[in-house]
Order: sequence, then C-alpha cells, then structure tokens
Amino acid sequence: MDHEKALGGKIFTGPVAFLLLLFLVCAYFLVIRYINGIGTVSNLTDHQSWGVWKVVGVLVGAAFVNGGYVTAFLVYIVNKGQYHRFVRQAVLFSLLGYSFAATSLVYDTGRYVNLLNFFIPKYMQPNSALFEVGICITAYIVILAIEFLPGLLEKFMPEGEKSDNLAANLHAFLNKVLFLTVAFGVLLPTMHQSGLGALAFLMGQKISPLWQTPWVSFLYVTSSVFMGLCIVVIIDILYHPKSLKNQEYLGLLKTLLKIGVYVAIFWIVFRFVEVIRNGGASNLFDVGFEFIFFWAEMILIVIGMIMIRKTNARSLFSGAALMLTGGLLYRINTYLVGFEGAPGVTYFPSVPELMISIGMLALQIAIFITFVKIFPIISQE
Amino acid sequence: MTIKRRSFLKGLAGTGAGLSMAPLLTGKAEAREVRRVQDDHVGMLYDATKCIGCKACETACKTANKLELELDPTGTFDAPRDLSTNAFNIIKMYNGPEGMSYVKRQCMHCVDPNCVSGCPTSALNKEPNGIVSYDKDACCGCRYCQMNCPYNIPKFEFNDWYGEIKKCELCRETNLVTSGQPACTEACPAGAVIFGKVKDLLVEAKSRVQKSPSLYLNHVYGEKDGGGTSVLYLSKVPFDKLGLPNLPEYSQAYAQESVQHRLYQYLALPGILYVILAGIAFKNRSGHKED
Repeated sequence: MDHEKALGGKIFTGPVAFLLLLFLVCAYFLVIRYINGIGTVSNLTDHQSWGVWKVVGVLVGAAFVNGGYVTAFLVYIVNKGQYHRFVRQAVLFSLLGYSFAATSLVYDTGRYVNLLNFFIPKYMQPNSALFEVGICITAYIVILAIEFLPGLLEKFMPEGEKSDNLAANLHAFLNKVLFLTVAFGVLLPTMHQSGLGALAFLMGQKISPLWQTPWVSFLYVTSSVFMGLCIVVIIDILYHPKSLKNQEYLGLLKTLLKIGVYVAIFWIVFRFVEVIRNGGASNLFDVGFEFIFFWAEMILIVIGMIMIRKTNARSLFSGAALMLTGGLLYRINTYLVGFEGAPGVTYFPSVPELMISIGMLALQIAIFITFVKIFPIISQE
Repeated sequence: MTIKRRSFLKGLAGTGAGLSMAPLLTGKAEAREVRRVQDDHVGMLYDATKCIGCKACETACKTANKLELELDPTGTFDAPRDLSTNAFNIIKMYNGPEGMSYVKRQCMHCVDPNCVSGCPTSALNKEPNGIVSYDKDACCGCRYCQMNCPYNIPKFEFNDWYGEIKKCELCRETNLVTSGQPACTEACPAGAVIFGKVKDLLVEAKSRVQKSPSLYLNHVYGEKDGGGTSVLYLSKVPFDKLGLPNLPEYSQAYAQESVQHRLYQYLALPGILYVILAGIAFKNRSGHKED
C-alpha cells in the first residue's frame, strides 16, 4: 500500500544551491525595480504593459499548478481512490505556484500597496475579471493551505494509531471537514481559470482572432484540465525512478493521461471552430509570427498525445511534457504573441526582466525540493 | 440607477460571504443592459477640417494640468511625439493619398468604458457628468486599463518607483472648475474643438455634415463607434488613417460583462455547485479513507 513519506537526505545540495544563486540574481534586479521603477528593469511600455511577469508569472504559473484541483476532483468527486497518491504532492505544488503567482503581482503592479484594495469593500469591482481572478487566487491559496496542513501535522504527531496531541486532534478535525474544503478546492480554480481567459476578451480587437473569442474563458478552463493531469504525471515520474519498469504503475499514469488526451482533443476541435467562427480562417494560413506560434501550440499537443499511446516511462513523460508545453504556449500566445497594442509594436523581455521571472521560479522549485525532504508528501511503496 | 445598483453590490460583496461569487449577483436573466449617453454627459466635438495644427491646445493642457515639458534636443521647443504621462492631449498629422489632416488625440471618455469595466479596484470611474476619472489611491498599478483601452489612452509612469496612471480627465479638477470648460477647448483659436453636452454636440456635428456633405465623411466618429464616446470627431480623411480604430457598434465592456453575467447565470450560481460538490465529496468520504 502506498503511503506518503518524507524523503529525507541532505537539505543543502548542489541543485538547491544553484537555484538559490539564480534567486540572488533576481533579488538584485528586484531591488533596482523597487528603487527606480518598472521601466528601468523591463521592456514594458505603454503599448505592451503586460509582459513575462504577468503572463508567465501569473497566467502560466497558475496553469502550472492545476494538478491540485484536477486530482482533488478525480479522487474526491469522481471517487477514483487509486489516484489518491497524487493528491498531496499536487496540492503542495499548487500551493507554491499560486503563492508565487500572487507574489509576482507584488513586483509587477506599480502601486503594490493598493493591492490591498481588492479586499476593501468600497474599492471592490465585481464586474472586473481581474478582480475575480485576484479574489479566487487568494481564496484558493487559503484552501490549498488547509488541504496541505495534514502533511505538516503528521510530522508533529506521535507514532501509533491512538495519537492524542494538538496536532493529532487538528488532523482528525481536518479529515472530518475535508469534503467542505475539497469542494471549494474544485470550484474556485474553475472560476479562477475562466477569469484568466476572460481578461483577454475585454482586450477585443487587440488580440488576433487566432486567440480572441467570446469562449476564451471556457478554453482556459478546459486547457487547465489536461495541463493539470500532465503536470501531476511529470512530477510523479521524477520522484519514482524505481517504479519506471512497473507496468501497474505505468498503467495508472497512462489512464490519468488518457483523460487528459480526451479533454485535449475536445479542446483542439473547439479551438478551430472558434477561430473560424471569429473570422480567423485566413490567419490560419497567413505565414508569419502568429502563424508559427499558433501551429507550434497545436503540433506540440498532438505529438504529445501520440506519444502517450505507448506505455513506457519515457513516452509518458515526454508526451505529458509536450502537451503541457503546448498548453503553456497557448497562454503566452494569447497575451504576448497574439496581442498587438498598437500597429508595429513588438515586445521581447529584457534580461533583468527574464531573470526576475526565472529567479522566482527557481526559488519555488527549491522550496518544493526542500519540503518533500522534510515532510511526508510523496507516496512511497 | 446603474451606479446605485453597483454600490449596493459592493456592499453585498463586502459582507464577506461568497466574495468570489460577487459577479453572479450582477447577472440578470439576460445580458447586461446597453449603456447610452445621458443628458448631462459633457464632451467635446473636434472638427479636423477646421483644425490649423497650432498646438495651442497642447500648451494650454500642459499649463492647466501642470505637466512637464518634453523639450527637443535644442531645448527650445516642447515636442511630445505621442500621448504620454506628460501629454494628455496632442495634435498629430496625417498626410497621404486621402489628403492631409490634423487629428487631436486625448481620452475619448467612452460611454461604456473598457477601463472602468476591467479595473479591479474601482480606480477608474464613469462620473455622473460622463467624465472617465482616475483615483490614484484606489489604483494598484496593474495596468489592465492600458491593455484593454481600444485607443491606448492611459499612460503609466514606468520610470517612477511608485508610478501612477495618467490621462485626460477633461480638466475636471483644473480648468473645468475655474473656467467651466477644458483648457484645450478654451484655447482653440480656430473653433476646431468645442465643449458642451454630448447630445448637443451630436446635433451640431450632424448639421455640419448635412450642410456641407462634400467637406466631411458621412460619419460622426464616436456616435456609435465602440459603443459611443463623449468626444466626437468630424473629418474628411478616413478615421482609421487618423489613428481612430474601426470598432464594432458595441463596447467590448458590454460584450465581456454579458458573457460573464451569463456564465455565472449558467452555473446556476456557484453556490449550488459548491453544495453539490461538497455533497458528493461527503458521500465518497469513506470510500478512499484507507487508500
């Protein structure tokens, strides 16, 4: 039977040191950003005022962590207990990802102190998709923290069945009300993912018909489902090098990815219908920058789906990685490639701008690596 | 009426329960109503055929709103190239096969503004007199307004440690208070830009087109474009050549809010969905306990 265990081992290893070094570079540029302003470290302008910080930090970051809600849905709502082993690691990854999405807003927004206005009734603006996104992210971070708490508590619980201290009691209580948190944990990300797409719709004609549609929210939710499944499989394979020959284990991963493939097929069909319906049929074959990035999205996902047909660790891993990359590209494309603020305006992030995003990502990965060594997150045979 | 309803909703949202479900409360059975110019909305009419390109309006705008000069390399000429955090109003020129024309650019004060609809913290507001105003104490600097404005009007102070959004507010705290009209219309020596109630300006614009149809395109830009704007334009040169985009006759804010309201309508209230999810999770509780 599977059970989550702390992996143990040395905390401060080479890879962790490298990740922290990346973060130090990022911190240096952040200091400059806070003293002199956003424009001094980034290539953001009035015509392209959202760049990698928002698009990669928040949109892609948020997509990256969908594993949490997708697995929670499968285990607790569809009642597929066999996937239970994936829940805790996915929840930790989601928690970190969303925290970092929220953190990236603190350096991306110009008047960061006023982010608190999201929670002050007189400033709330319920018609805004961005308001919805902000509130859903915050609420979901709280929910994820509650979902994750049992893992932390187990560390402080005495051994044995009848443990009786504060940690154990809280653990038992959380288990009892788990169904309440789980329901929020499924509902909020759905709303939040749709909000991320809705942001694009208000930009109207500034976004190419290859990405712009009234259904963009729906496409964001559906893409988050297959991306979430892929990320769960990727993390699990990385942490179970010994199981890679085990057919039963691989079969489990494959059934998970199969759900993702069905969703992705539906998504692709829907996407083409919308492009054509919105008058983008000619854009599909208009060779250029947008053309390349649109088809790159599609080809990555399709090749990924084909690779998943084989049941071996290498194919499953690469297939999931390709589908995930395609899905991430979709989000980047919507706001960066497909977006034209004014005719002829192009944008490419500056080195400091990229380093800030990379450094924050490195810190996130370092924290994940460290957490799974200390706390019982990853399930072991 | 709409304003009242919104503040009511803000109160509701503030009570804490179901913060994230706030948008659904605004959802009616149908898409949300179409916003139209109100009788007391003020605006401007710019007639490109009368403009002599003297830029007196630019200077007056900078003086009234205490904006920094953007001097050319010789240091003798204020020469903004485009709208910026130091230029809320600018005269540009088009010269091409369709002819030559000046064009004045500033905030259009849309009837149903995207910026107001998208702003998460109510920093941008449609005032009762139709002016789209900005409140720096509410603004979190997310710059969503820049991304969704079809005219690229809001500008952000990227090189300031704690920048603000800057744009034309029709001199609502400066010249409009002291002289009863914006600095640009007051300064214009050619009568090319005039201030007034939007409904009166529209009548005036249409009568000019009717009187001299050879002088103008048969189109008052801003009457319907993008759902309508409080600044109206007349020209002989096609408007898209002057940098005014071809927009549908509805505001994107209208389209967006309609979809959003419908979506939350369709979910039959996320609250119900939540109860169902929680119910299923409760029922499944024993099933996977020992996995």
